[in-house]
Amino acid sequence: MPVVDGTPDTFPKLLLHHAQRLAHAPAIREKYLGIWQSWTWSQVRDEVRYLAAGLAAAGVQPGMHVAVIGANRPRLYWSIIAAQSLGAIPVPFYEDAIAQEMVYVFRDAEIAFAIVEDQEQADKLLEILPQCPALKHIWYDEARGLRKYNHPELAPYEALRESGIARSRDEPGAFEAAIANGAPSDTAIMMYTSGTTGHPKGVVLSHDNLVLSSRAYADLEQLTPAEEVLAYLPMAWIGQNLFSYAQWMVVGFRINCPESAETVMTDMREIGPTYYFAPPRVLEGLLTQVTIRMEDASWVKRRMFRYFMDLARRVGARLLDGRRVNAAHRALYALGGLLVYAPLKNALGMSRVRVAYTAGEAIGPDLFVFYRSLGINLKQLYGSTETSVMVCVQPNGEVKPDTVGPPMKGVEIRVLDSGEIVLRCPGLFRAYYKNDDATREAKDAEGWFHTGDAGFFDGSGHLKIIDRARDVGKLSDGTLFAPKYLENKLKFFPYIKEAVAFGHGRGEATAMVNIDVEAVGDWAERRGIAYSGYTDLAAKPQVAELLRDCVGRVNADLANDAKLAGSQIHRFVVLHKELDADDGELTRTRKVRRGFIAEKYATIVDALYSGVDRCAVEAQVRFEDGRAGVVRAELTVHPAPTHAAQALAA
Amino acid sequence: MEALRRPSTIAFFVLLAIAAVMPLALGQAKFPQWLEVALGGLLTGVLYSLVAIGLVLIFKASGVFNFAQGSMVLFAALTLVRLAEKMPLALAIVVTLLVMIALAWAIERWVLRPLVNQDGIVLFMATLGIAYFLDGFGQAVWGSDIYTLHVGMPKEPKIILESVFDGGVLVDMEDFVAAIIAAVLVAALTLFFQKTSTGRALRAVADDHQAAQSIGIPLNRIWVIVWSVAGLVALVAGIVWGSKLGVQFSLSQVALKALPVVILGGFTSIPGAIVGGLLIGLGEKLSEVYLGPFFGGGIEAWFAYVLALVFLLFRPEGLFGEKIIDRV
Amino acid sequence: MNLRELEPGTADRELGATILAVEGVSLAFGGVKALTDVSFEVREGEIRAIIGPNGAGKSSMLNVINGVYRPHAGKISFRGETRTHMDPRHSAKLGIARTFQSLALFKGMSVLDNILAGRSLMMKSNLLLQALRLGPALREEIEHRKRVEEIIDFLEIPHVRKTPVGRLPYGLQKRVDLGRALAAEPRVLLLDEPMAGMNMEEKQDMSRFILDVNEEFGTTIVLIEHDMGVVMDLSDRVVVLDYGRKIADGTPEEVRASQAVIDAYLGVKH
Repeated sequence: MPVVDGTPDTFPKLLLHHAQRLAHAPAIREKYLGIWQSWTWSQVRDEVRYLAAGLAAAGVQPGMHVAVIGANRPRLYWSIIAAQSLGAIPVPFYEDAIAQEMVYVFRDAEIAFAIVEDQEQADKLLEILPQCPALKHIWYDEARGLRKYNHPELAPYEALRESGIARSRDEPGAFEAAIANGAPSDTAIMMYTSGTTGHPKGVVLSHDNLVLSSRAYADLEQLTPAEEVLAYLPMAWIGQNLFSYAQWMVVGFRINCPESAETVMTDMREIGPTYYFAPPRVLEGLLTQVTIRMEDASWVKRRMFRYFMDLARRVGARLLDGRRVNAAHRALYALGGLLVYAPLKNALGMSRVRVAYTAGEAIGPDLFVFYRSLGINLKQLYGSTETSVMVCVQPNGEVKPDTVGPPMKGVEIRVLDSGEIVLRCPGLFRAYYKNDDATREAKDAEGWFHTGDAGFFDGSGHLKIIDRARDVGKLSDGTLFAPKYLENKLKFFPYIKEAVAFGHGRGEATAMVNIDVEAVGDWAERRGIAYSGYTDLAAKPQVAELLRDCVGRVNADLANDAKLAGSQIHRFVVLHKELDADDGELTRTRKVRRGFIAEKYATIVDALYSGVDRCAVEAQVRFEDGRAGVVRAELTVHPAPTHAAQALAA
Repeated sequence: MEALRRPSTIAFFVLLAIAAVMPLALGQAKFPQWLEVALGGLLTGVLYSLVAIGLVLIFKASGVFNFAQGSMVLFAALTLVRLAEKMPLALAIVVTLLVMIALAWAIERWVLRPLVNQDGIVLFMATLGIAYFLDGFGQAVWGSDIYTLHVGMPKEPKIILESVFDGGVLVDMEDFVAAIIAAVLVAALTLFFQKTSTGRALRAVADDHQAAQSIGIPLNRIWVIVWSVAGLVALVAGIVWGSKLGVQFSLSQVALKALPVVILGGFTSIPGAIVGGLLIGLGEKLSEVYLGPFFGGGIEAWFAYVLALVFLLFRPEGLFGEKIIDRV
Repeated sequence: MNLRELEPGTADRELGATILAVEGVSLAFGGVKALTDVSFEVREGEIRAIIGPNGAGKSSMLNVINGVYRPHAGKISFRGETRTHMDPRHSAKLGIARTFQSLALFKGMSVLDNILAGRSLMMKSNLLLQALRLGPALREEIEHRKRVEEIIDFLEIPHVRKTPVGRLPYGLQKRVDLGRALAAEPRVLLLDEPMAGMNMEEKQDMSRFILDVNEEFGTTIVLIEHDMGVVMDLSDRVVVLDYGRKIADGTPEEVRASQAVIDAYLGVKH
């Protein structure tokens, strides 16, 4: 009996397909107790079969939602496929979400079943249980600390699996039958987007959406089952889902779950992924670590590193793009490869990377060029949860630091007069769950999706994103003000971790910044400046001087662009506390909530515009254990150097 | 190996390298001859290293500077050479090893255990006593003649690299085999220390006696093991030295060279003992041959001690040793 | 915050039989009396705290239990065996492990080796087999390594597995110390101020680990601490010492209400 007819078009069908074709090839690995354990495709199929039967026995019906909460663990991946096999819809959660944030989603999606990683997640669900009466079953993967709990809702994963084994013995073939019933237009997964305002919205994505998007990438990069991928990003993020789940299923390559969040770098070195995906934040973290390590190295190494990185910046990216480089530079670059680039790539775990993508936010040109100059084929792409990430990607040989590339095959893009980008694509979501108004607002009658992003095409047909359309404003004199653009320019300095720009309807642009404790702390230590923590460090006059220089350089850069020269930053403050998702100041994907911040720190914004040079603030903070406290501080308003518009002078 | 990255270390090695190639630069020597001298020096250095390793092992595990290491070399060699007269060589080696283990046991039982928790100087004096006892006891039991030890080491020198240099380079094959034996021994010891649970326990004791005791590691047994290993190292050193120079009282004196070696390399570092031995072997041979004529010879006898003196003045912890920090 | 309350269903626990009992123990250094006629018992599976102001004799008590000090009077019973004193190696063999207030880790060795060293007493195979990595020795080593990896996973320190302990921050070193004690698979674990010198967050982590050890491995825990808050949250029962004498013994609530304890902590003159 052929299990799969034709090209598999849903994830469960893809699983059966691989279990047949690649039966003994490892599908997933996890480092556990210091050893990489692996499961072949046929083992994964069997595990999923038991799990699906167990879920069915517990009452999971097609169309129901199943919550999946935790870090990248094989069993959680299996949970996603198992739910899909039954026609049920997995809903992944950010593992670091606090309990109260989960309440809305549990109620919105009427979730009755949850599979969680460990005690930490189980505790959260038990806490919100009274608010979510629909929630009836919580299964946990790791029993540690949970053995003595006696809640009727709680059961170990093993129990679910056992009941599944029994049920699949009684009803052989039920698993395959359920999978055969699945259609590509069925909902595959629901991912909640936090957005910067209001409640999160459940984005309904079909198998079709994700499979077609995955195929587009696989064709473009000629991915094969031999790819090695590290599954380390939050499972609730569409990027992680597309690159480590959907493409895994479509291509049949291998994903590897790290031992813990702290061991990712070591694990990556051991695995040596060939296909890599990382948001700019992660790439930046890696670069910071490299830089700090180099600062501590012997001077011989430091000199060598500087010389060859300088060379790489000049010729590395050109070589990668296949452009002409003279023979002497070629030879030196090859020597650098031996002495610096290869060891560095090895330390980063990127020796075998064939294709690397970055997305999710704008990436600093220096950061982007750093990786490319090492010979790592890092490319930018553009997409969102609603488009299954499939919109634009930079093709090989046409990579620029400030664009996201031309539209992918099958994607139509228009830029509205307002500057907003609208598009149609195969990956486009079905709807926002139970939210027709929002769906209608985002997707017009002709099927154009309003991305909410502002941008334009450059001369070579590459899309350039400047900001959220909604956020693009005007100064009181009518000058264009793109806050995100300014913030990103600030954040490209290693010393600045977060920035929030203000200026809409005002006379001038101003900004609040968060210093990067690690980078600035290191800088301070080198200068013998003692500090006790973030707040103390942020208040140091030397640090203000350092940041004044950064802001001045951003202004100089803005002055070069006729459209943006008027929005130079005139004043800034260094915030006394780090912006934090737990305090509602950032989204879970760490985007700043500008409106919320403007309201919360109204006194600071006032101070930025009232001409005073000091202001007292206090802020509510939430500690990691859930307690709330208040931080008080006095901030200094710093003036920043501005520049005459170069474009006008020229 | 953080110690290696310190500027003074780098400067020392650079200076040393310059000094070593000086005779070439000044045209005082031709390369093949210089290479011969250098190789000879390095191979002698291997023997110094062997004794020094024994010293470092015991110092790390029990904090005792074992003055008797040289005497243990002599005692092992004497025992072996006399036993070999009465039985096959292989058996003699095994029996000698057993004797060295018995010696380790006896030292632990009658010297270390009664003196536990005494000052370092007291224990050092005790090893001085052990040294005199071993020298006397060994010669009383085994006789004080000069014995020749035949363990089948190749005796003829060999000429290598004839195709590269005119006349080739003369290498003492015996030294060469000794170097290989020493390398195997060091590799075996490293594996033993890094990969076995006993090795781990030894490292634990070397790191912190008290903590080791509190988690149930028996200190007394560890001491017996360490002294036995030192005995094994002494036996190997005795074999290669004895077959080169003959087994005689002066062996225990030559072994004194191990003292400057550990000062150079650092008291707590096995790699230090190896590098220190090689450096001193190399240094004294090169200076004997190329500086000797200006000083009227005999440099070989004092070179090592002068170098050690310089180190004591400027770098008391040695090249690889842990930096000595006085605890307040 | 009471950690016990966070764990539903763990508040009411049944205590097992007496596993360790101290009867009439007195100890003096020269003329200074460190302990005077102290008696208490520890039940299987409980978390038992010994608290008291500085110099109350807490550490002395711990050292008597694991045999570092020989008491001048009194008896110690462990698992039905009564003796007048213990000795450290013997107590380790019987199943009493301990951690140290001032860390006594092997600073130059990796986390893995430190915890493996904690299993020294359980290593059976002989030297020759070990040296050759043969048969039983290899199997034994693999088994030990597996247990140790479980502890590393349990204590959430896989990222520093190969790091020399001396390079770790203090809070992690404390965790390694706990791991090394756990490696011996003890029946009773003596913790000497496990949270001394820690910040609030580290204290909470450590409390969580102690509770988890108690629950997951069923290890009986005797801990000394002077941070009253932590002790009251963690312990099933508390002994209070003051000037070497026992002044209270009971549940945290009972002890908290005791006038003698209040006086001792407020420094009322005797």
